[in-house]
Amino acid sequence: MDTQREIWVFADKIASSLELIAAGRSLGGKVVALTLGEPETAAPLFQHGADEVLCLGGPALVEDVTETILEQIQARNPVLLLVYADRRGKLIAGRIAAALGATVMTDVREIQAEERGFKVVHMLYGGGAVRSERSITPCAIATVATGTFQALPADASRHGVAMRLSPTEVRNPMKLIERRKKAVSMVNLSAARRVVGVGRGLAKLEDLALIEKLAQTLEAEIACTRPISEGLNWLPRERYLGVSGAVIKPDLYLAIGISGQIQHMYGVADAHCIVAVNKDKNAPIFQMADYGIVGDLYKVVPLLINAFQRIK
Amino acid sequence: MATRFISKALVAIQANHWRMTLNIIVCYKLSPDAEDLRILPDRSLSFAEAEWRIGQYDLNAVEAGVSLAEATGGTVTALSVGPKELENSKARKAILSRGPHDLYQVVDDRLRDADTHTTAQVLAVAIRKLSANGYSFHLILCGEGSADLYAQQVGAQLGQLLGLPTLNAVAKIEPSGDHLIVERALEDEIEILEVPLPAALSVTTDINLPRIPGMRDILAAGKKPVTQWSLDDLGLSGGIRPGVEILDTRAPLQVNRKRQIWEGESEDMINKLVAELRKEGIP
Amino acid sequence: MGEEKFDVIVVGAGPAGSTAALKLAQEGCSVALIERGETPGAKNLSGSVLYGRCLENLLPGFTAQAPIERYVTNHITTFLTADAWFGLDYKTSVFGAPPYNGYTVLRAKFDRWLADKAEEAGVMLVSGIRVDSLARTGERISGVVAGKDTLLADMVIAADGANSFLAQQAGLRGRIQPKHIALGVKSLVSLPRATIEDRFHLSSEEGTAYAWVGEVTKGVAGGGFLYTNLESLSVGVVMRLDDLKKSRQEAAQVADDFLHHPLIAPLVRGGELIEYGAHLVPEGGLEMMPQLGMPGMLVVGDAAGFTLNTALMVRGMDLAIGSGLAAAQAALKAIASRDFGDGMINTYTDLLEKSFVMKDMRTYARMPAFLETDRLYKQYPAFVTELMRRIFLTDGTPKEHVFVSAMQALKSSGMSLWTLAADCWKGLRAL
Repeated sequence: MDTQREIWVFADKIASSLELIAAGRSLGGKVVALTLGEPETAAPLFQHGADEVLCLGGPALVEDVTETILEQIQARNPVLLLVYADRRGKLIAGRIAAALGATVMTDVREIQAEERGFKVVHMLYGGGAVRSERSITPCAIATVATGTFQALPADASRHGVAMRLSPTEVRNPMKLIERRKKAVSMVNLSAARRVVGVGRGLAKLEDLALIEKLAQTLEAEIACTRPISEGLNWLPRERYLGVSGAVIKPDLYLAIGISGQIQHMYGVADAHCIVAVNKDKNAPIFQMADYGIVGDLYKVVPLLINAFQRIK
Repeated sequence: MATRFISKALVAIQANHWRMTLNIIVCYKLSPDAEDLRILPDRSLSFAEAEWRIGQYDLNAVEAGVSLAEATGGTVTALSVGPKELENSKARKAILSRGPHDLYQVVDDRLRDADTHTTAQVLAVAIRKLSANGYSFHLILCGEGSADLYAQQVGAQLGQLLGLPTLNAVAKIEPSGDHLIVERALEDEIEILEVPLPAALSVTTDINLPRIPGMRDILAAGKKPVTQWSLDDLGLSGGIRPGVEILDTRAPLQVNRKRQIWEGESEDMINKLVAELRKEGIP
Repeated sequence: MGEEKFDVIVVGAGPAGSTAALKLAQEGCSVALIERGETPGAKNLSGSVLYGRCLENLLPGFTAQAPIERYVTNHITTFLTADAWFGLDYKTSVFGAPPYNGYTVLRAKFDRWLADKAEEAGVMLVSGIRVDSLARTGERISGVVAGKDTLLADMVIAADGANSFLAQQAGLRGRIQPKHIALGVKSLVSLPRATIEDRFHLSSEEGTAYAWVGEVTKGVAGGGFLYTNLESLSVGVVMRLDDLKKSRQEAAQVADDFLHHPLIAPLVRGGELIEYGAHLVPEGGLEMMPQLGMPGMLVVGDAAGFTLNTALMVRGMDLAIGSGLAAAQAALKAIASRDFGDGMINTYTDLLEKSFVMKDMRTYARMPAFLETDRLYKQYPAFVTELMRRIFLTDGTPKEHVFVSAMQALKSSGMSLWTLAADCWKGLRAL
């Protein structure tokens, strides 16, 4: 193992950093975790595998850390920077890449160290294609979505002293006027073992009650396709599965009234078991399901509820 | 009466209701329609029959630019870089019918399958050339991502390369005096920021509903000025070194699903399904 | 508002519209061509062969650059029953060499190419916009309205196809009767080029045009067709609407059954269905022709009912092109003389009468009525195939004279010699 080879990770939440650290560890080399906040909060990062922790403090605008991270990278030349793929992460990764003359490899699903550079796999065309590519710049940069890697178990024996970085001057300061927390449903779809998804087969908002009953019976979370949340606003954005939404790997995905377009199925492609209910026998989802019922969901769902209740 | 008017005006100026004229550059990408994608027997892809279109997310950026320009009495220049398909008259009409006043295109087949860093670099050089030619712009707008790669990178990289304040996830833009008040929709919070100009912003689909061009818009599009540059015109005769090497692009391997389908809404069928699920350990 | 005015607005960028627009632009007029499909051809389906000599003058040497599929060298017209067919099979290598005769085309490609040519000549093409209504100034048509936009011109050419609502709106025709119009349902089946050439005995670039009558349409007035493209087959059925309604059958089902007919299935075997569509076809001939113009407007192509079905051949695209050219010429004269009224309409109809368009429409004027003969779809296929069966069956029982076979076959199909004679006479006169 080349201990001089450094892999840096950055996320704006500790939980996400842990996943990136696991990814870094799998690639060999020294894992350096960049994190917001102060050194006192760094313990979990060490315990879950970081070799070094650099703290960026808590600027009003999170993206103000970009110049600092960039200066550090230019000083220490890591071979890889992994950034958590939330909106902030994509902005920060992009700005750093531009400054370094690199291309960000986005939403990678797999990453492997090669003799020179890193090889990754990611999706294109809304899930219609898979591309593998290799970085050819001295510092490779990749963004990683939640759930792609699992955090390593905590090892209480691992510890270290985190360093607080002094902030580099922000080139183009912007003033934060206000920050408003969104009423985010505390839903963690990634953790759900069973998920019931609903799509445009649902005629009206009120019918969600039926789906909720089904989900309750199965002890499942509810999710949906993009039009149901972003288009109709029947469910919050956190609940939509797909290319620009959440990607999950539940034991069971029960798709009700969903046609099965690639952009949505991308979000559940790795589910262990997919069951579909749709009244159109030609719906693409039946090609991607383990089990399916061709029928009217308004008749089938109540029957399913009864059947599942009976075996409880 | 006069004093009331004057004091109102003063209040307005103080409250920054005065807005600067905004000249805007909107960047967009033309790419083959994913629906026209054909998968060949070896799982490689063919876009031979594909229609090339403006990315759906770019339409929000164009609409945002045109609305801001209309509101402030400014102009919108559309800018794109890419392969020869950009020369197609239908493609040009498609962008110009949506409101931009003119169009600049950097066309070179070496830009086919360009990665995001390459695209950002060429856009940056083109914008610098526009500035050198005397065009003073205040704002660059990009969509949240392209229709084909959806890397969500070019806006961020472009802003950085040009040394401009850069933000993504922009859901609202309000011109205010000599700057912008911008609302950013992040995953779990909303930020409201004051952004100095010039700036580079990537907008989300929340920001507007793009207008649908009417007959006159399309006719007018045919008359708007189009300037085409080659990489040589930009001083990039040697091309741009990409940051990644593409190894392979293929249709995904279909997970072998059982595809056991029952037709009908009988209890019998449901029971069969539940029985199978129980075998799988569900519930 | 915009004070922009065109010399001519053409509505519909099919063969008729694009031809008219192209000709006008070539002569220096300002033309707007408004197409409701996303691209010209997107809303069109070819159900016949393009006899394209009519384009030669307008675009010399066009066969070299136009997206043509195959040169048709083989015309087959057949009676079909549930298990047999008998027909005419004409093949000639002459049609496979310049100046050629007819070609198969795929409208999405061909119409787009022709509209591109029009654009190159200076036509302002607007796609994806549906014209909602005509604009009028006093008694004359002065432009078109689409959404919130009005566009003005000296005149409008209505090339908006089989169910032209512009002609109706202008009061040039009433509602189209179901007996004057047919529904064509077409499947595009892809097959490797070599397979097609093998299966249909064609040299490279040569093509076959098949027409079937009888069991194809389950007794509904109409027929089946198959055209060979370079790497696909256009195959389907056409059924007259009134008859289709009467029979209570579903067009899609009839089309599907046709592809599974034991004698048709081998022709499409191994092919992959890549496209499926339906389109209306005018079939009424002279009887359904609307008034061809009013002050400020001329009607061309399918919108004017310019189609021909002679059972041996179906034509529409060449008539569309011919009428488009005639309308353009009438328009040019009108623009020069500033007479967009009766003078222009008379010039147009005059040019049509002198050209193959009206001459052929008149020659075959009796065809639509003849094609209403029910027997064509039920009894004749049965008669002819039964006759052939009797002629060719050699199973040890003593053979009969052909005349006897014919009488037997006639009897079994429920027709009399007199009916046969009368129908033959009617048919020959119609052709």
